[in-house]
Amino acid sequence: MTWLKLVEGYMPMQMISELAGSILVFALVNWALNRSGMGIPKFWAGVGVWIYIQLYLKYRIYPPIPFSVRAIYGTVSACGIFMWVSGSEGEWQEFKRPVLNVMDGISGFHRGMRTVALIVIPLALGGFAYNSFLPSFEEPIELRTVHPAPPATTKVHGKTFVLQVVENPYRVNNEGKYDQAYTDARIVEQAMGRLMKDVNNPDYNPWDPNAEGYIKYVREGGEIFFQNCHFCHGDNLNGRGLWAYAFNPIPANFTDAGTIAQLQETFVFWRVSKGGIGLPGEGFPWASVMPPWEQHLTVDEIWKVVMFEYWHTGYYPRTWD
Amino acid sequence: MGRLKSGQAGKKFLAVTGLFAMGAMLLLPIFVALPALAGGGAPAAGGPPPDVVAAQEAEGVEGEEVKVEIGRDVYYKTEGPVIGAPAPKTADTEEFYPRYNFESRVLLWVANQQHLYYGSFVLAVPIFCMCIEFAGLVSKDKAMAKKYDQLAYDFIKISLTAYSLTAILGGILIFTFLTLYPAFFGYLSSIFRPVMHIYALMFVAESGTLYIYYYGWDKMKDGLLKWLHASMSVVLNVIGTVLMFLANSWIGFMMSPAGVDEQGRYLGNIWHVIHTALWNPLNVHRILGNMAFGGGVVAAYAAYRFLSAKNDEERAHYDWMGYIAMALGVAFLIPLPFAGYWLMREVYAYRQQMGITLMGGLLAWLFIIQATMIGILFLTTNYYLWQALGRMTGGERFQRYIKYFVFILVVGLLVFITPHTIVMTPAELKAMGGQQHPVLGNYGVMSAKNGGINAIIMTTIASFIWYQRGNRVPAVKWAKFGNIFLITFFVVAHLNNIWVACYGYFIPANVRIGLSVPQVAGTLSCLFFGSALNLAMLKQSRELGPIRWGQIAPRSQYALIMLATAFTWMMGLMGYIRSSVRLFWHVNEIMRDNSPWAYTHTIGFGANVISFNVLFFWITILFVFWLGALGAKKAPVPATQPVPGAAPQPATGH
Repeated sequence: MTWLKLVEGYMPMQMISELAGSILVFALVNWALNRSGMGIPKFWAGVGVWIYIQLYLKYRIYPPIPFSVRAIYGTVSACGIFMWVSGSEGEWQEFKRPVLNVMDGISGFHRGMRTVALIVIPLALGGFAYNSFLPSFEEPIELRTVHPAPPATTKVHGKTFVLQVVENPYRVNNEGKYDQAYTDARIVEQAMGRLMKDVNNPDYNPWDPNAEGYIKYVREGGEIFFQNCHFCHGDNLNGRGLWAYAFNPIPANFTDAGTIAQLQETFVFWRVSKGGIGLPGEGFPWASVMPPWEQHLTVDEIWKVVMFEYWHTGYYPRTWD
Repeated sequence: MGRLKSGQAGKKFLAVTGLFAMGAMLLLPIFVALPALAGGGAPAAGGPPPDVVAAQEAEGVEGEEVKVEIGRDVYYKTEGPVIGAPAPKTADTEEFYPRYNFESRVLLWVANQQHLYYGSFVLAVPIFCMCIEFAGLVSKDKAMAKKYDQLAYDFIKISLTAYSLTAILGGILIFTFLTLYPAFFGYLSSIFRPVMHIYALMFVAESGTLYIYYYGWDKMKDGLLKWLHASMSVVLNVIGTVLMFLANSWIGFMMSPAGVDEQGRYLGNIWHVIHTALWNPLNVHRILGNMAFGGGVVAAYAAYRFLSAKNDEERAHYDWMGYIAMALGVAFLIPLPFAGYWLMREVYAYRQQMGITLMGGLLAWLFIIQATMIGILFLTTNYYLWQALGRMTGGERFQRYIKYFVFILVVGLLVFITPHTIVMTPAELKAMGGQQHPVLGNYGVMSAKNGGINAIIMTTIASFIWYQRGNRVPAVKWAKFGNIFLITFFVVAHLNNIWVACYGYFIPANVRIGLSVPQVAGTLSCLFFGSALNLAMLKQSRELGPIRWGQIAPRSQYALIMLATAFTWMMGLMGYIRSSVRLFWHVNEIMRDNSPWAYTHTIGFGANVISFNVLFFWITILFVFWLGALGAKKAPVPATQPVPGAAPQPATGH
């Protein structure tokens, strides 16, 4: 379905809207057919809608949805369809009728169907059992903890940081005081791409020679990022760097709403400092090859690069009230 | 006439005075035992421990100024005299962890969970009894009053046998603690010594009140005595609630200790030990949870009796009972997610790492299972209500719209249960191009999930409104305008919910958290305003026909059983999550768990133990149901005549 694209930034609502639209079309078609006396039997309507949803999820959504999630969606949609077809006694009787007709063998055709079902269902179950006992060469599934809980404190370059309370020393206003709101107002805008709010204003453009304070620190963070991080995390911070596809999973995509946007700045500071090797036990299977950057960068450099990541993606670090 | 009125007023006054006197007497031990209530760390009334006194005497310091060591409270940061021993440093030996050839933690887990199930049930049911008995007392319709009274009696009858079982399970739990975790239990009881005594006293008071309440039902059925009887249910519930709060203080202390210094030494302020960071959120969450659970269990009892009923009268009675229990349970289920939200917020505020372990880290998948269970609860409730429309003349006019409600519920649930951390093979991971799915990944975060659950709750409220209208058509003059307004109100609330859910992606997290307020406000407005408007419209209504109690599809009763099972399973799950978030601590950051079982089980193992607990509870509660039926003294009130007027309104609409 390349003619109908999922538009980046709108994909979640687009998927729901498409599903809603198709259900509405089904309801309208069914209504029209009923009016003309050619209504689809409830049983086949239910089965048809369920198959449609599974096909939609498998072939319409790209990249492919992992099986575990499709299984969840399939089960929930089956429950929903059951609720629909058995919502009233009349509908439930109508839904059951074809199944009962086959089981009762009310005509030659139904008796034939019953015989076929009695042969096919055990065979299918046997085939399923046989397949599940066959030796498999597939890699086992992994339940990876994407955001393992950080420790209460972390020691970097001999200094202990209490992650619950520590603040980024470069997230400051013109007076040099820590100011979340001031810096939040100067990050890039997110809508349909990432844009600087005012390229000609040194207060908003880190690469302006007159940039000072917070916005200058962002530039310094950016320089560190492009010297060290962009090979993996990509020049657009989306995890598609030059070396990214040498790894599985590929490096974190900071532009995704589920990564740094969900985390406190101190979490990112800890993760960058300690790297993959510093992941705690619950971070199993430790599928991260990020080096412990404390061995290559100073504390100040780590804070600046973290700040640059937030600035560039247009996300705000999670904070407490 | 005037004398009659003054006589009634006098009786009410006497009843209320009696009620307060009983309450005050029963709460007296708390005030007596807490001299340092919210004080600034005054020394305990008992003075320093005996070993310190002996040492002082040996050194001949009697009468001289004694040097008191001052400790700093780990949570309140206040200073106080050290008067307790430090938390024991345990090792993996028989001394600290005596054991059978089996995992002690699982034994404790089962004992604890069973006690909790029964404890929750016997705390919740008297609250229902109180509400229903009062409903009967104030009802002007004598037939209805009698039915309510019978129902309240049926409820308490079920809980009586369960009450003894709760006490027995409590004993088993204490023995399990003493024999398998002596060092830890010794430490906990050294801190909570006075609280444990008060707890025991309250338990005695609870038992006494419950027995008088139950056995006095027939004797105290008229006039002042009936009011006193109903008042007693208030006392019963006050005691029950205090009991639960006290027990909650122990688990609150284990999760977020206070009132002790870094070594775990008690600093003399018992209020600090009780009033920890998570105590109040736990209290609120547990009260609501118990009520929802209790409603579910009673509804399952009614469903069981309905399905095994021999005649139409029984079927009608238990159909009605199931409906009332379900409505009460769901009334408390609706605010439960908000209480849970508050609890999690406090957990994050207390320790970020604890919050992340729960919601984003090690235990995050268990929350997906929880979300699934919550979804099942709401979907089942809706399904039951749609089935219940079938027993009303005129209910069928709503059933044609079920498919649209199903769609909203299913989409809301799919968003609500989409995992942030997806289970997948490395090949799937590679095909997806990263850990986060660009479409579904957006459903995995809180902004979308809040939208999902609010859509589900609002749809459930709409189903309740349908149900209230089942056999009635509003006949007020402004009915048309009212209907348009009501529909617009719900549509706007849904649109607001979706818009806020999307907008949440574009703003800072602290602002996003605040956005849940307009979402919840929309949902609560639907609940209170929508229900109130609907009731106002139904004040003058045209009845299309009676409610045919008992004439409901058996599927509805299986839905009630499923509702109760889902409650039970979810409670087991959440108990496990709450407990295992301490990871390798008995008392968080104070007393380390050095037993061989101080690791987090796999999800599969945890789910199996929870399922075992659920199965065990339901087998034993079936025994309780059977006992309740065995000892039936009162036959159900004949219900050949349909209940006059409208269907009983769910508690939400009151």
